Amino acid sequence: MAEIKKLRDLIIPITDYPHMPYWATLEEAIVLLNFSYETGHYTILVFDESYRLLGVLHQREILRGIQPKLVELSPGKVPNAWEELMSTANPKQLKRPIKDFMTPFNIIVDVEDHILKVAHLMLKHNTGLLPVKESEKVIGAVGMHNIFHEITAFILKSKVTT
Amino acid sequence: MRSLLDIFKKIKFKRTETSTPSPPERTIFKERYDCFQKLLSANNSVLETMADMEEKISGDYIFDMSYVRSTCETVVESVHNIIEHLNKLSNGKYSALYDAFEKINSDIEGALAKKAEIPVTPFTIPFEQVTKDMVNSVGGKNANLGEVKNRVNLPVPEGFCISAYAFKKFMDYDKLRDEITLSSVDIGDVEGLNRISKKVRDLIMKAHIPPDLERSISNAYLELSKKIAHRGGILNASVRSSAIHEDAHFTFAGQYKTALNVVPENLTKKYREVVASLFTPRAIFYCESKGFQEEDMVMAVGVVEMIDAKASGVMYSRDPTDAGRDAIIINAVWGLGPYAVEGKVSPNTYVVSKDSDRTILEKNIPVQGVMLKCSPEEGAGEVEALEGKEGKPCLADDQIKTLAEYALVLEQHYGKPQDIEWSLDQNDNFFILQSRPLRILAEKSKKPIPTSLRGYKLLIDKGQIACKGVGAGKVYLITKEEDLENFPEGAVLVAKHTSPKFVTVMNKASAIVADVGSPTGHMASLAREYNVPTILNTEVAMKSLEAGQEITVDAINRNIYEGRIEELVEAGKTENPFKDTPVFKVLKGVLQNIVPLNLIYPEDEEKFRPELCETFHDITRFAHEVAMNEMFKIGGGPDVKKGGAIKLVVKLPLDIHVIDLGGGVKNDSDKITPDHILSIPMNALLKGLMEIEWPGPPPVNVKGFLSVVANTTIQPHSEKALWEPSFAVISKEYMNFSIRLGYHLQTVEAYAGDNLNDNYIRFLLKGGGASIDRRARRTRLIKEVLEKIDFHVDRTGDVLDGRVTKYDRATIEKKLGTVAKLTAFTKQLDMTLFNDAVVDWYVQEFIKKHYVEEKKPGRC
Repeated sequence: MAEIKKLRDLIIPITDYPHMPYWATLEEAIVLLNFSYETGHYTILVFDESYRLLGVLHQREILRGIQPKLVELSPGKVPNAWEELMSTANPKQLKRPIKDFMTPFNIIVDVEDHILKVAHLMLKHNTGLLPVKESEKVIGAVGMHNIFHEITAFILKSKVTT
Repeated sequence: MRSLLDIFKKIKFKRTETSTPSPPERTIFKERYDCFQKLLSANNSVLETMADMEEKISGDYIFDMSYVRSTCETVVESVHNIIEHLNKLSNGKYSALYDAFEKINSDIEGALAKKAEIPVTPFTIPFEQVTKDMVNSVGGKNANLGEVKNRVNLPVPEGFCISAYAFKKFMDYDKLRDEITLSSVDIGDVEGLNRISKKVRDLIMKAHIPPDLERSISNAYLELSKKIAHRGGILNASVRSSAIHEDAHFTFAGQYKTALNVVPENLTKKYREVVASLFTPRAIFYCESKGFQEEDMVMAVGVVEMIDAKASGVMYSRDPTDAGRDAIIINAVWGLGPYAVEGKVSPNTYVVSKDSDRTILEKNIPVQGVMLKCSPEEGAGEVEALEGKEGKPCLADDQIKTLAEYALVLEQHYGKPQDIEWSLDQNDNFFILQSRPLRILAEKSKKPIPTSLRGYKLLIDKGQIACKGVGAGKVYLITKEEDLENFPEGAVLVAKHTSPKFVTVMNKASAIVADVGSPTGHMASLAREYNVPTILNTEVAMKSLEAGQEITVDAINRNIYEGRIEELVEAGKTENPFKDTPVFKVLKGVLQNIVPLNLIYPEDEEKFRPELCETFHDITRFAHEVAMNEMFKIGGGPDVKKGGAIKLVVKLPLDIHVIDLGGGVKNDSDKITPDHILSIPMNALLKGLMEIEWPGPPPVNVKGFLSVVANTTIQPHSEKALWEPSFAVISKEYMNFSIRLGYHLQTVEAYAGDNLNDNYIRFLLKGGGASIDRRARRTRLIKEVLEKIDFHVDRTGDVLDGRVTKYDRATIEKKLGTVAKLTAFTKQLDMTLFNDAVVDWYVQEFIKKHYVEEKKPGRC
């Protein structure tokens, strides 16, 4: 019977993630995500000045942040590139701190937790990313896609075996 | 867990606190700062004095021994002070400098005490044994005559020298030297000069000639008469001066006596007269004004077969009025030569081409009514020119060509144009009587270099001259040290700043131009040593000049032209007529122990050591460098918190405490706000810090913020480090500010005074809260911005050490403003720097928003 991976094997070290202090602006977050896009990162971890992990900023939250301007645009002028968006978006909105838009982490998983439990928590709390701690210290994060891949691969392998 | 609200409260509370002054620590700081300031002052004194001495050695000025002695005293005293203050500042860490100082000082004293050495020789030396290398033994004129006779093999009258050693013995015999003191002579006091001159000449004329010298002269004359007996002419001699500096590089023309047609029994009398002529008022004036010392006034004498001349004259191997003209000028008079040079009659003038045919280009034959002729018994007198000779040329064409040939042979032998005296005896034999370097009158009377040239594009017309001259070549821009490696031969070095490291290409550079820099700086000193025309402080050279562009640098009028202007380059070539005077040589000698800079690379610890200081410049450079390091340490020292710091109440997210070393804070202040700060660098920094919007915890929407914090469940970094106080040790011109910002320590040290050489900013940063790769990216960001404002930055990982030096006060203040904004801008930014692309974006962002280009860097 195929074995399912441990959560430890799926986590991504915290230093590999884009992260920012909560007072960084929406504009800075857009820049950061733009420059980290090619590395496969679509979210930003948010910290306080003491390096306490506070939350995560998703693309959708950024879009929400600049939404008022978007809806005002006529269909023909909807920005289709980040750069254009930067110039057309409301400057005041862009200067707002990301803490206003991020999703706070209400939950943290332990590195010893089973990935099924992690998947359950993600579904329950409607989040695609969870921080992982070991001995009360955050050591990384795990994403929905990692969990998804591991669980579905396990199911497929189990089906073939049976 | 403590909330940020608590932290804000704490900050607010802290701002109302005032630390209790602790006098002992502050006294220590003050003492150290006092040492630092005195060191800077002494350092400036050395640099300024050095610059002045180097300017003197450039040849544009006349100076005397009292100048050399007094400037040396200033330098010695100042360097000693530097070492004293540095050791006080560093608790004796650099005592090895004293050893270096003693050695250099001893060498300087040796150079100052150096006197002209008179070699021990026979009293008389026949011309057959004389060459130009024997100037100190036989004087300049004799030495050249011997050279012409024995090495050039041109005809020279027979004769012998009465040596310099004979002169010494003569002066010693009646202790004449003790009687002759010229040091108190004021050459501006004509009456006094005449009085002293007469006294000395009377002494000499009455003095006894040592019997052995008299015998030697008598014997030498006997030998001479045997040699010339076969000519069948007169057996008298001319007795001619040959001072040890005469004819070498100084003509001394007409300064000393020549006695013509002297009978043997009067030789010693005429010898006295010639020796006495060393002290005529005009000769004393000449010596003093040329910087000779009393000890250098030594007179050898030539006793030369008297040529009963049919014609005589002088010739120049090059046209002295037009150095560019390829022609030989010959002047001739009937009779003896003095009339050719004294202007008594108008001489024949022949201009001869240097072409292979020696074509006679011009002849000018005025009427000569009188001439000088040997008298039947002794001496010479004026007689009517012989009938039939008036209006006729003194020389036939073939004789003119023979003389022209001689002139060229002599010029070739000596390697420079010659001023030659010649004589034609009654049997039409030529004799060379004297050959000395031709003072090119064309150079002397050279048209001054025009302050601006029409027809040429003037690119830059400002700056400060650090080394006079004119150089032309292609522009080679130096933006980083490595650029020096490929410096092309003959290029013009153009840089933003000066650097002693440019010395490595000074043998290749035709000129140096820099936007910023001081004529009293280290590099300027090196440029003068290498004689590279240099203009500093042009402000715009890096922007105005393009790499590879051909330019002419006129470091006489502070102009830079497009293209190569040969007439300027040629006009800029100068020969220093003063360079072979004894006093010039003494200055040159002492400067060898003062000016050269060997300690160029402070980062090379192996070579940047007190033991390796070979000159006073090395000591000052070393001391200034390490003194700044010693001062830099006080801000981060363990005692800083006990230094009687006063809290600075300011609307900044910083807990600033100020320690005043004097003049940095208003005296009557018991509550410090930015308005009480008098420190120039501190004010500049505070202004920048207050102008920028600080990134950080926004003081709004606290409720939402708290809810976020409340959800945090992970172990954070220590919060203690976040709120540690920052200490600023300041004075009117100085600031050493250790800034605690987030998780890194940053120190900004600056000096902003009136002397550009003192001014600097140092920026040191280490640490951060993010991972090492992100911290390193932040130092890259800071490095790029600092380099934009001309800092030299060393960076290793998350450690950055930047420095900028030698800008005027206003520019230092501007740069501090930028540094302040950069400080705020990068606070905890390391967290965000995910990759290099993000760094690049932030660099551009800072430049766009906060970098104000300094339009006018440099001196006020």
